[in-house]
Amino acid sequence: MDISYISLLFAALLLLYPLLIFSHLKLKLSKQLFSAFARMAIQLAIIGLWLQFVFKQMNLWLSLFWMLVMIANAVFTLKGRLKFQPRILLPILIYSLGATSIIIMPWLLILVIKPQPVFSPIYAIPVYGMVLSNSMNSCALALERFESGLSDNWKAYYTRLSLGASLWEAALPPFKKAMQTSLMPQLLTIASIGVVSLPGMMTGQILGGASPLVAIKYQMMIMISIFSGVTLTDYLAIRLYLAKRFDMYHLPIA
Amino acid sequence: MPELLKIDINRLYYGSNILLENARLKVNSGERILIVGATGTGKSSLLNTLNLMNQSYDGSIFFHGKKLQDYRPEHLRSRICMVMQEPYLEGNTVQEALDAPLQYHSIKQRQLPNRNQDIAQLMQAFQLPISYLQQSPEKLSGGEKQRIALIRALQLKPEVLLLDEISSALDQGTSGIISDCIFNNYQGTVIAISHDPLWQDRWQRIWKLEQGRISSSVKGA
Repeated sequence: MDISYISLLFAALLLLYPLLIFSHLKLKLSKQLFSAFARMAIQLAIIGLWLQFVFKQMNLWLSLFWMLVMIANAVFTLKGRLKFQPRILLPILIYSLGATSIIIMPWLLILVIKPQPVFSPIYAIPVYGMVLSNSMNSCALALERFESGLSDNWKAYYTRLSLGASLWEAALPPFKKAMQTSLMPQLLTIASIGVVSLPGMMTGQILGGASPLVAIKYQMMIMISIFSGVTLTDYLAIRLYLAKRFDMYHLPIA
Repeated sequence: MPELLKIDINRLYYGSNILLENARLKVNSGERILIVGATGTGKSSLLNTLNLMNQSYDGSIFFHGKKLQDYRPEHLRSRICMVMQEPYLEGNTVQEALDAPLQYHSIKQRQLPNRNQDIAQLMQAFQLPISYLQQSPEKLSGGEKQRIALIRALQLKPEVLLLDEISSALDQGTSGIISDCIFNNYQGTVIAISHDPLWQDRWQRIWKLEQGRISSSVKGA
């Protein structure tokens, strides 16, 4: 069932509640709310038109081009968000998100979804968007936690080194902690799916008219892919970060 | 006595400042050396060059005739161990803290027979009850933590022990116990920094850092 533009305006009226609460608490978020939702509306309108065009073309190169735009966007969003070691981050983010994409996407498209043609944008692009955005968020958390795990406790790191630890051995405790912190929320979300929440993709498919049984299969596939993608990205990003953050004597590069 | 370390430093830096010039020193096996000097003269910077923790210098340092940089850092540091000013003990119990370095590849390659016996002897020598092994490191006093950190290093039987102001936060009594224990329980080479006058009386060789120069003297000579 389609939603009319007038109906969408009624949905927008629901924003009156947050605005009232902001004004009651004298929270200075109203301006940000307007700019955030305005940006969202413009971006989605443009992307909607663009995707409609891409989906009609069914062109492999166009799909790949758009996936490259998506990953570039993810890399630069992450780069802007992470406020430490700006000099070394760019290649780390490109390699870790790129490698994850190359591992996960062909697997999903060739072995699981099997659309005709394989890179049919109607499947490749939305699925890639979900894997990529989750990997991006988790990677930011993992790298932040790893860096703070190191810099909040250099004493621990240097103690391990001074007793004969290799770089890997000295950095392993904050590495494990960062992985745990970034993966725990994912696992909690996965465990609560279906009971606490119906995820966005499944809701979208059901509202779009798909059978709930088809929707749950897609949902399972996407959760597995997201978790696998997130774990790979976090691991690769921290490993690469480790290699760039320290010199050959395992001392941090300022 | 065989020469263990040879220090041939033209300039030692901290950032762009020159801390020390023309440091030409030899360390023989089994020697006990105390580094003294005012704050900021480069004592810690010098000590840290010896286990590859500081590379800000022109010149060369040799260990068994081989440049430090030619060793794998972890292998060198497992043979030239350092105990720091503020001890960090890893794990839920003292035993876990002592076991932690045994997981390192560089230590695993080394034979450490009778290690449990060594730990028991060291605990006794450092005047710590054996029951402390099951205690949380958090519950120990500063002096006790420092003694555990020393036992953790000594159990690895390093050839050189570097001590970076390990007694600075301790009272004279504890500081004296620690100094005695090191002398009585460790046959290897020790290079230590300390401001404690008690230590300065006991150590045979003194390296004094003053106005960018280092002088080496033998106590009583």
